[in-house]
Amino acid sequence: MGLPELRLNAKLSEAATKKAQDMFSHNYWSHTSPEGATPWNFIVASGYQYTMAGENLAKNFSNSSGVVDAWMASPTHKDNIVKPAYRDIGFAIVNGTLDGEETTLVVQMFGASDTEEIAQKTIPLSTGITTEALGDQTPMMPVEFQAQEASKSLVQSLSSVIQTPKINIPTITRDTVFIFLGLLIGILALDGFVISRNKIVRVAGHNLAHIMFFVSLCVALMLVKRGVLL
Amino acid sequence: MKKKWISVTNFTILAIILISTVLLFLLVQDNKSLQVRIGILLSVLYVSWGIIHHSMIGSLHPKVVIEYLLVGAIAVTLIITVVWM
Repeated sequence: MGLPELRLNAKLSEAATKKAQDMFSHNYWSHTSPEGATPWNFIVASGYQYTMAGENLAKNFSNSSGVVDAWMASPTHKDNIVKPAYRDIGFAIVNGTLDGEETTLVVQMFGASDTEEIAQKTIPLSTGITTEALGDQTPMMPVEFQAQEASKSLVQSLSSVIQTPKINIPTITRDTVFIFLGLLIGILALDGFVISRNKIVRVAGHNLAHIMFFVSLCVALMLVKRGVLL
Repeated sequence: MKKKWISVTNFTILAIILISTVLLFLLVQDNKSLQVRIGILLSVLYVSWGIIHHSMIGSLHPKVVIEYLLVGAIAVTLIITVVWM
C-alpha cells in the first residue's frame, strides 16, 4: 500500500494491556468504560503523548488471521490500520472472563506523537503480550524491532488478568447443540429405516424432510463465528 | 404416480430453500442479528413447506402440523442459543 511501517511501541502496548485489564475487571465490552474512561485516558496514563490516536478491539477469534481478516473487512477498523498518519502501534492479547464467558480480548492501539523519544522506545513482539492467546501468532503489522528492553511490569500486570475458567460454558453449549442435532438426525434416520422396512403406515411428517432440515441447520450453525469486533 | 411427482417436486423445492438459506447465512457471517433472522426465516419456510406439502398429498393432520411446528421451534431455539451464546 506504500504506507510507512508502524513501530511497535511499549507505551501503546501498555495502554492496550491496561485497557484489556480494565475491561475484565469492570466487566464491559466497549471503547468507553462504565466509569467514562476512554482509550485516550489509557494512552495518556501510559505516558504516550499523542497528537492522534485510535483503537481497534476484537474478542473471541480463534486465530490471529481471523482477527486481521475481520478488521480488514470492516471499513472503520481498516481505516485505523491503513491510516498513514499513525506512526506507532501497541497490542495486548489477553485471556480472561468477561460476562461469565471465557474471552480472548485483542486490543490494538494506534498513535502519532510529536515526541520522537517516546516513539523510539519500542519492544519486541515476544514480550508475552502477543503470543499465547491466539496460538498461531504472526505479527499483524510490519513492525520495527528497535529497543530490546522489554517491559517487565507490563508482562507482570498482564499475568494478573489471565484467568482460565475450568468450565468453558460457550464451548460446552455449542458442543451440546451439535451433539443434540446429531442424535436427532440419527434417531430420525433409524426411525425412517424401521418404518420403511416394516411398511408401517402412520400419520407423521417426513423423516427425510426433517433430516434435510436439521443437516442444513447444522451446516448453518457451523458458520456462526464467535469473534466480535468493536 | 401423481403423488410421487408432487413429492419429487416438493422435495426439490425444499432442497433449494435449504441450500439458499445456508448460503444466505454464509453471506451474513459477521452480522449475528441477521443470522438469527435468517434462521427464523428458515424455520418458518420449513414449517410452511411441511404444511403445504402434506396438504398437497392429502396427508395433512393436526398431529403433522404440530410436528412441523415443534421441529421449527427446536431449530429457532438452537439458532438463538448458538448465535447469541
